Amino acid sequence: MLATLRTFFEYLGGERDDAPLLHSARSRIFLRCAVWIVFIVLIYFFSGQSSKFIYIDF
Amino acid sequence: MIFNTFAYYLAFLLPSAALYRIAPAGLRTWVIVLFGSGFFLYFAYGMAGVWGAACLFIFVWESLTSRLYRPASRWCLLGMVQSLLLLGVFKYWNFFTSLVFLHRANPVRWQGAFLPLGISFFTFEFYHYAWDRRAGKTEAGSLDEYLAFILFFPTMVAGPIKRYQDFLPKLRAQPVEWNRDWERGVTRILTGLVKKFAIADLLTAWTNHLNAHDILLADRRILPLWLLAYGVKIYADFSGYSDIAIGSARLFGIRVPENFNWPYGRRNIQRFWECWHISLTRWLIDYIFIPLGGSRVAPLRVYANILIVFLLSGLWHGAGLNFVVWGLWHGLLLCGHRLWRRLRGAPSPHPLAALSSSALTFVLTNAGWAFFCMDLHTAMLFFRRLLIG
Repeated sequence: MLATLRTFFEYLGGERDDAPLLHSARSRIFLRCAVWIVFIVLIYFFSGQSSKFIYIDF
Repeated sequence: MIFNTFAYYLAFLLPSAALYRIAPAGLRTWVIVLFGSGFFLYFAYGMAGVWGAACLFIFVWESLTSRLYRPASRWCLLGMVQSLLLLGVFKYWNFFTSLVFLHRANPVRWQGAFLPLGISFFTFEFYHYAWDRRAGKTEAGSLDEYLAFILFFPTMVAGPIKRYQDFLPKLRAQPVEWNRDWERGVTRILTGLVKKFAIADLLTAWTNHLNAHDILLADRRILPLWLLAYGVKIYADFSGYSDIAIGSARLFGIRVPENFNWPYGRRNIQRFWECWHISLTRWLIDYIFIPLGGSRVAPLRVYANILIVFLLSGLWHGAGLNFVVWGLWHGLLLCGHRLWRRLRGAPSPHPLAALSSSALTFVLTNAGWAFFCMDLHTAMLFFRRLLIG
C-alpha cells in the first residue's frame, strides 16, 4: 500500500511516466490538469518571497 | 536564483528546447552549445560581472584540451589536475591561505575573489571525463558533443552531475516522445517550483533564527524546531532544484540522473547517503573512495577511506571549518554504522526496530545540519544551549 502511494506521488510529481491507480486516459488527463492548477496557484501565492537556492555557488 | 527567474524560462529554456525539437540532427548539439553559452554569460555576468562572464573561456579551454585525452594518456592526468586547480584556486585560495597565515594578516589574500557560476559541479564533470577517458571507459565524442555535455545548462549550475557515457547516447538519439517528455518535464518543473516557493522559502522565517543572537535569547525548547525546519528546507530546496533541472532536461528529451530518493526516513546513514544527492555520492565513490582502495582493504583502511571521502565532501560543500566538521560528522556516523554492522550482524526485521533506527538516522542527520547552516562557533553555541541551557 505504502509503495503504491509512493509511486502515485512520484507520478504526480513528474518523476514517473506510468500512473498507478489510474487506468483510463481520461482520469490521467483530469488529474494532470488538477495537479497543474494546484501547483500554479501555490507558486503564484508563494512566489513573492523567493531566495537563492542553497546549492548554487556565488 | 536562476531557476526561479522568468529569464531562465523565457529567454533560455523554452526557446532552446523548442529549437532543439525542430533543428536537424546535426545542429541539435549546437543549439545546446549556443544557449548554454548565452545562459552562462547572462547569469555569470549578473552575479560576478565581466570577470564572471569571462569564465566562459574555461569551457572553451577544457573542450580544446579534452581533444588530447586518450586511454592511458598523460594528457588525461593533466586534465584532472587542471580541473582540481580551477576548483582549488577559485573556491579555496582564501580559505587555505588564511589557515597558513593564522592570526596574521593574509598577504596573499585574493581581495576580488569570486566563484565562476557552477564551478563546483562543472569541474566534477571535467574530472570525470578525463578520468574515464584515461581508463578507456568512455569514447571521446566530437568537439560539439563534448561542448554540449559541459554546456548543457539545465544541469550546469548545480547538477545532477552527469556522466558523458550516459549523456552521449541520449544526445545522439532522435527524441520521439515529445508530448510525454514535455508533459512530464513541465510537471517536474512545477513540482520543483512548489517545493522551493511553498516549502523551502516559507521555512526561511524559522531558519533565519539560526544565528548567535537569536539562539542566545530563544527558549531552548524551540531550538530543535528551528534545526528541523532547516532539515526540511534544505531537502525541499535542493530536491526542488534537482526537479527543475531534471524536468528542464526532459524538455530536450534528455533524461539526466536522479538526485534524491526519499532520503529522510531511511533506516541507516548508509541508506541515507544512497538516497541523498545521489549523483554526488556516486561521483565520490567512483573517483575518490574506490581509487583509495574502497572497502576491499584492511578494516582500518576502510574507515580511514570513509573519513577521507567525507572530509573532502564537507570541504566541497563549502570552504569553511563548519563544512569540514559536517563532513567528518557524516564520516564518523558511517564508520559507526559499519562497525555496528560488523559487531551485530544484519539488522532486526522487527518493524519497531526499523522505525527506531529510521528515527535515529533522521535525528542524527538533522543534528549535522547545524554545522552546515551555521559557522562553527554558532553551531557549538547552538548545541551548548540545546543540551546544557
